[in-house]
Amino acid sequence: MENLYAILPILIKVAVVVAVLLLLPLPLVWLERKIAGHIQQRPGPMRVGWHGLLQPVADGIKLLIKEDHIPSDADRFLFKIAPVVALVPPFVVFVAIPFGEPVEVFGTQLMLSLSNMNVGLLFILAISGIGIFGIILAGWASNSKYSVLGSLRAIAQMISYEIPMAFSVIGVVMLSNSMNMMDIVSAQKNLWNVVYQPIGFFVFFVSGLAEAQRIPFDLPEAEGDLGAGYHTEYSGIRFSLFMLSEYLVVVFLGFLNVILFFGGWHGAPPFVPETVWLLLKVAFFIWVFMWFRFTFPRYRYDQLMAIGWKVLLPLALLNILISGLFMF
Amino acid sequence: MARTVQKKQGWIGWLFFSDMWSGLRLTLRYMFSKTVTHQYPDHEKWLPYSRHRGHHFIKTNEQGDVNCVGCELCAKICPCDCITVVPYEDEKGNRRPKVFDINLSRCLYCGLCEDACPADAIKLGQEYEVASTNTGALVVHLEDLIAAPRKAEEGAGTVIPASLKKNGSAKTTPQDNVKGHDWWQLIRREK
Ligand code: SF4
Ligand code: SF4
Repeated sequence: MENLYAILPILIKVAVVVAVLLLLPLPLVWLERKIAGHIQQRPGPMRVGWHGLLQPVADGIKLLIKEDHIPSDADRFLFKIAPVVALVPPFVVFVAIPFGEPVEVFGTQLMLSLSNMNVGLLFILAISGIGIFGIILAGWASNSKYSVLGSLRAIAQMISYEIPMAFSVIGVVMLSNSMNMMDIVSAQKNLWNVVYQPIGFFVFFVSGLAEAQRIPFDLPEAEGDLGAGYHTEYSGIRFSLFMLSEYLVVVFLGFLNVILFFGGWHGAPPFVPETVWLLLKVAFFIWVFMWFRFTFPRYRYDQLMAIGWKVLLPLALLNILISGLFMF
Repeated sequence: MARTVQKKQGWIGWLFFSDMWSGLRLTLRYMFSKTVTHQYPDHEKWLPYSRHRGHHFIKTNEQGDVNCVGCELCAKICPCDCITVVPYEDEKGNRRPKVFDINLSRCLYCGLCEDACPADAIKLGQEYEVASTNTGALVVHLEDLIAAPRKAEEGAGTVIPASLKKNGSAKTTPQDNVKGHDWWQLIRREK
């Protein structure tokens, strides 16, 4: 019984987080289409619901009832599990993300995170690296040239950008002397890390865009040359799982940017709860990602590699050096 | 259309992505500018300019007779062969069309009939909602042509609030006594 009481809050938290994350793509799809529209001077979806708010629901229903097609030459088992494999890591990273200071509920301390790991940052980086497995499986199992090329590109891109990303957060870890996400946030109580670490933020932001495979780094699903990249052969519900995981990666990157460089929930204006303030900042970053998407063309593949290895990695190392000198 | 001025960009600009910033600034301004989409057919309708070539109409004179003298020149010039004219002599002794049919499902709205007509009778008007589920209904007769909307005069080229009546015919009815807005002016252009 005692154990059950201990486990209950965690179960509730897990349920809430999973439910919110599962539903989040609906407003995000709407937002993305609205932003795309307004940048092109059109209103975007308008007909289903108020200003098209129910459009993603309609699209979702359409995707669910579409034929789930598996190419005849595909590796059926891998083809089927690939979307699920791709979906797991974006959910798992949210285990380590804190949503605010602990709150008092019924006299007990309730952590606003699923787990307050002392190596939270390392965990997040590791899990987001695993996210590539779903893409590898999807590209390989589809048995299609577009898919396999898309997934090869994704793998190479992931490797090239995971490294500058990990190096760029070292500066943050040096400043807060901890890999615990709560400690990282509380170290920014007075001044946000972006002030101390502009280069680090820049490197993290750009490699984050590449991680999420968003324009200008969306080579793995370049419509122009690859059809749709690794999910060319997917349709119906399986395709929507890939979409879901892509949107979750965007959300999670928004969280990481805010927590690591923009002070987490600190600096809230009066009367705004900390968690709401954090979510507002994350929403701002998501909006920025979408704004970028409809502004920039995509880089050529060799440019992408050159940016990763010849620009971002040296910059990240320089950032570590400068942070070290200042701390010394 | 946005025309970007070619600016010379020094290495400092290159270092701080001045080109990317100007791109972002451009799209940001567009994001918060007015949209130009017509909410047709749900909420708005475009009134075409008077030069618009839509559904034909036939003019009538003061006596209430049609201007048409049944010369069949329009039927001859029509590249789609979609006009049928059968002339007769009316009680006043004038040559008039007994049958005047236009098959709108074949017409390409080229306006050649209007040009050919020696009697200032057939014109192409403002009506453009001729969609129908029945091709038979697209063959319009003399009385339809006399009753059809004329060329647009007032409010031509504006978008006015309207609503789609769901009574079988796919027509959007504009609200009465509402001035439209000139949507062409709304389009954001880079100076
Ligand atoms: S508009 Fe052209 S195609 Fe149509 S009826 Fe006149 S001449 Fe024929
Ligand atoms: S509409 Fe004009 S061109 Fe055609 S038959 Fe009549 S008078 Fe002749």
